[in-house]
Amino acid sequence: MKDLKHLIYFENLLDSANNELVQQAKDEGMHPIAYTCYHMPEVVLNVDNCFSVRLRAPKTGSFDIASYYMSNYTCEYCRALVERAIEGGYNFLDAIAGVDACAEMNRCMENIELVAAPDMPNKKMFVTHCDIPYKVKDYTLKHYVTQIRNRFLNVLAETYGVDTSDEALRKAVAEHNEVCKIITEIGDMRKLPNPPITGYEFHVLNLVTYCCPKSKILPYLKETLAEIKKRKVDAKPWYRCRVALIGSEIDDLDMTRMVEDAGAMIVADRFCFGSTPGREVIELNDTDDVLTQICAHYLKTTQCPRYMSQEKIQERRDTIDRLATENGAEGIIYESMKFCDFWAFERTLASHIMNEEYGWPVLSIDRPYMARSSGQLRTRLQAFVESLEIKQIHKAAKEGK
Amino acid sequence: MLKSNIAWMKKNVPSDLKVWKGMIQDIDWQQVAAKTKLSLQRDKDRITAEFKEFAAMDTSAKIDWLMNGDRHLGYLYKKDAIAFARREWKGLKSVGYDFVGWLKIWGGMLNMVMKDPISILLAVFEYHWFASYLATPAVVDRSVFGRRGKLLQADFDMWVAITHWAEDLIANLIMADAKIGGNQKINKRIIMFDEMTMAQMMAGFPNLIGIPYQMIPVFMVSEMDQLTLIPYIDAIESYGLPSDTCPLPTAECGCAVKDEYPMCGQGFIASSMPCDGSVMATSFQDRRFSKFMPSYPLCMPVRYDDEDTTEMAAADMKDCIHWVESLTGETWNWDTYFATMEKMNECTRLEMEKWEINKTHYPQLVGSSFELFRKWNYEMDGGLFPEGLKTQRKICKTMMETYEKKLPAYVGGYEKYRALIWSCPAHFYANFSNWLANCWGIYALTEMEALNMTKMLNTTDKDEAINDLCRLYERMVMRRHTNGGHDHVLGELWRQCENFNANVVIMYQHVCCKTMAGLQGLFDDQARELGIHLIWVEHDLMDPRTVSRKDMRGRVNNYMVNVMHAEPVDPTLIDIDDEVTW
Repeated sequence: MKDLKHLIYFENLLDSANNELVQQAKDEGMHPIAYTCYHMPEVVLNVDNCFSVRLRAPKTGSFDIASYYMSNYTCEYCRALVERAIEGGYNFLDAIAGVDACAEMNRCMENIELVAAPDMPNKKMFVTHCDIPYKVKDYTLKHYVTQIRNRFLNVLAETYGVDTSDEALRKAVAEHNEVCKIITEIGDMRKLPNPPITGYEFHVLNLVTYCCPKSKILPYLKETLAEIKKRKVDAKPWYRCRVALIGSEIDDLDMTRMVEDAGAMIVADRFCFGSTPGREVIELNDTDDVLTQICAHYLKTTQCPRYMSQEKIQERRDTIDRLATENGAEGIIYESMKFCDFWAFERTLASHIMNEEYGWPVLSIDRPYMARSSGQLRTRLQAFVESLEIKQIHKAAKEGK
Repeated sequence: MLKSNIAWMKKNVPSDLKVWKGMIQDIDWQQVAAKTKLSLQRDKDRITAEFKEFAAMDTSAKIDWLMNGDRHLGYLYKKDAIAFARREWKGLKSVGYDFVGWLKIWGGMLNMVMKDPISILLAVFEYHWFASYLATPAVVDRSVFGRRGKLLQADFDMWVAITHWAEDLIANLIMADAKIGGNQKINKRIIMFDEMTMAQMMAGFPNLIGIPYQMIPVFMVSEMDQLTLIPYIDAIESYGLPSDTCPLPTAECGCAVKDEYPMCGQGFIASSMPCDGSVMATSFQDRRFSKFMPSYPLCMPVRYDDEDTTEMAAADMKDCIHWVESLTGETWNWDTYFATMEKMNECTRLEMEKWEINKTHYPQLVGSSFELFRKWNYEMDGGLFPEGLKTQRKICKTMMETYEKKLPAYVGGYEKYRALIWSCPAHFYANFSNWLANCWGIYALTEMEALNMTKMLNTTDKDEAINDLCRLYERMVMRRHTNGGHDHVLGELWRQCENFNANVVIMYQHVCCKTMAGLQGLFDDQARELGIHLIWVEHDLMDPRTVSRKDMRGRVNNYMVNVMHAEPVDPTLIDIDDEVTW
């Protein structure tokens, strides 16, 4: 297939947290608000003249200083963020919207707050910590709404005079939905037997929507969607097998590149920074409180392993099964960031269940934040692809009989 | 019960006999003989050394030894031995306390066995963890190491209360266990809850028996023998769990995978406390427990300082209470709840008295027994266990008597260094606090896990009482510090150092606790600024293969020798061999 027109531009945007579009928006007087977790509703960070930046630390090499602060056995994503913050890589931020959803990320935020923030140029820069529920009930939704309102939106309004009214929130939702519709439409094309987009390209497109101001990225997305619709595919699909990639945070393009280099096309992405959840349209009615509706959407769609009630645990497994089936996956890759407690437990158990009870071939891996240098990971991916191919051969032989 | 016992025997005895036979056949008798010979040689060397030392003493030292007991405790350790080489000689003044305490511990164990001897006997063969409880007297001996007189008696009193409670739990678990005892009468009254959840809620259900499910098969047994849980940890790591997760939830999951939990209970209250690992262990355990009972996830907010969060916590607590009511047909009883919380409040007041004494230059209740008792009293007793408050009153009275006499807390003499214990502690496994005092004169005045909520619980207003119950749960052991923001553990440490006039901190660095690891650098930075000696002691809780007890002590030895230029109080304890010791 011919390369997408804006792919290199998108890749360049992902080379830095403070990318060209972020700088443009900042120059126009908008407020960049960073976040890291799905539980901080992205859409509320895009209210009025604010825009969300999901924090990444692209091209991270070593994180020696962060390891001093957080030891060398905590999540590498968290350490990479602390390292980048201390280096001054997030000096452009006006706020960090943190949630106390996972202990390591909370410590990451605290280290940024205590070590890096005092040196940041914007002295009004603030870090918040919202409490997030562990299950979905009417009283947990109420709690969630209170937290987002009191701990984030009110602070934002007080600090920068931001309009956080229902009208402003509805406007943010409308823009958010526009992005979601485009990404969903592109994502759905992965279901085709010979898709006009690769898993890697989709990862790039989806990532830029998390890391750039929505208003700035939308024109490029629209153009790219039109381009993909008309894109000519090769006569024969390029991949050797189709997989669903499931697990913890992946913002490393080299990770998806490595999977696809091994011959496995990623047809479903259920990981933090992926499109499921994250790119579902938020439906608002005209009667209920807007923030409550937004929070309800996030509680309903979250797939985070911290939700410990039986129905949510079951829902996670069913969602993966559904995604893999609908998108024509042949196997599932369960991954977790090294030292991530939530996904370490979830991956271990679910990888057995998805295999033994749902019948999916499963590869279970833990990985570093930056995957590019891991030869071991590459070998395991290649071996999994080969095992799926053998299954294809056996299946064909059986059907042939 | 007998029917159930017979069913167990029919199922297991033939295969067990085969295993035993195989084990006996595999014994290398020559190796046994060689090991016995080596052990006897070590005994001989020790006796010779001790005799020579005694012979070299002057008369006053000999009288002191006779009256006050051993001052060189390193002789009690023997390489490759699971028990002490001999009993600690505590001197004529204390031998009576020692003997009576020892009798009470054995008496309690015998009492437990007599509740259902056959089922208890079968449990020894059914469960890997069970036999480790036979080490209880040895562990108590270890925990009263170097203590003398009335303080020794107080230590025993605390252990007697804890072991009596644990024995009740064990007996109920085994008798109700569908695999062994099969007693439905007891089983119908049992509500299980996560061991990392406090017990106080059960005060509203006087007809039910609340059991912290993993406490006996996992947590408590690891205090008895640090090697017991290794097969569970290995099992779950073989299943695929990375080895960087905390060994406590890891072992809990391993115990589930190996089917080592007694099968009983009407329902299981899982909890989000105290940390992410514990939350996730629920999914493994629920999978196993759901075969015979439903579960309820009790989820307390993390940012507990924010009073906005109390509403959700209270709603969840009420929901959980309704769940228990609907499951068992019982009704929440406010009278028993309030009465129990009055007792809990008195325990809290007494605990604060102990802290006040430990802030002086004559601390009395220090060491492993004190630390474990506080934890148990706060978390599991909470006014529910009749002996708890009685023991609190008794030991506080003893403490005031010994304080007025200004007695040293250990045989080695008064404190040389005043220390706090911080972070997830490993002192029970390693008998660390007693070793610090006996070896280096470092008195561990209190520890992070003891300094929990001291607010008196409301016992008159029903709504406020539920709010207080939630505040208590949110501030459970460890969670009070490790959750809800850095100030709870970082700023709190410096405040407590000032309160207790301590300038040494034994900083346990649990190599798998990400919550604490995430603040490592800030601890170092701020300690340097404040001039506090932060002695990092790495450990991996109940997995001594990662960091051995010897390595843990080595960190302190190095710091004391190279930084503090200190002389040990008891040089025989500097290098001891306790790799397999209970």
